[in-house]
Amino acid sequence: MSNTDDIRWVTQVALLGDKNAFDKLTCKYQSSIRRFFLNLTMGDGPLSDDLAQETFIKAYLNISAFKGISGFSTWLYRIAYNVFYDSARAQKHYDDIDELVIDNQHQTLNEFSAEKMDIYKALNILRKEEQTAVLLFYMEDKTHKEIAKIMNCPLGTAKTYILKGKEKLSVYLTKVGYGN
Amino acid sequence: METNETNKMLKAFFNEQKHEIADNGFSAKVMQKLPEQADHSWIVGVFAAIGMAISIYLSIVLGLMQHALIIMQHVPYYYLLSAVFFFPLVGSVFVFFRQDKHYRLI
Repeated sequence: MSNTDDIRWVTQVALLGDKNAFDKLTCKYQSSIRRFFLNLTMGDGPLSDDLAQETFIKAYLNISAFKGISGFSTWLYRIAYNVFYDSARAQKHYDDIDELVIDNQHQTLNEFSAEKMDIYKALNILRKEEQTAVLLFYMEDKTHKEIAKIMNCPLGTAKTYILKGKEKLSVYLTKVGYGN
Repeated sequence: METNETNKMLKAFFNEQKHEIADNGFSAKVMQKLPEQADHSWIVGVFAAIGMAISIYLSIVLGLMQHALIIMQHVPYYYLLSAVFFFPLVGSVFVFFRQDKHYRLI
């Protein structure tokens, strides 16, 4: 399914209020958006599903604001990014996360818990902005330009987040013996 | 460590952790929670019906229908048959090449 399909479905939703078209968009992007949240929340499945649901509802309500300048996917990630940071600010999510809680979440909530331990531990050494930028770049295959749009920051800043995240991760992964 | 090697290592690391998440009713839940908004998709049907009615009315009033029927009576049937087959054939060829190009782009 191409971007042309996205534009067609968005037009159907925006002009005709066609919910079936929005269902197609949801089905297409649910996996990547939920994965994005799952990684940002360090494996909290229920929370990431709630945030993903909020993202899609906000996208539906504001779909007429989508101008088509960037791709629908970039626009959706931008909403997801805002939803996550709003939620984090509201719940002081960042401060509450500590290693013990993360470990418990992994054990109980995440179906890929054993494999995912590594990625959450690795991501946890990064600042939140670096985590977001690195996840978007390596996990969701977004370009620097798209990441800058999603995070609403200058291109240079997005590049710096990725570079710093990359440096920290490479040191960490080498230290834990990844790839040996 | 070389930047390329770092990139490769991180790409490999993240690819190993990348999983598709099954829908498992997520989309259905989202659809249920969407606020009620007027569905205007019926407009398409109404406009199609109005357009059809106008074209039929004009063709009868202006005699286009009769004219077309008279012409059709004088056209050999194999002309009509070839016309009927011509459009799907051209259409299929067009779609075939368009899809081919589309896949190559991916």
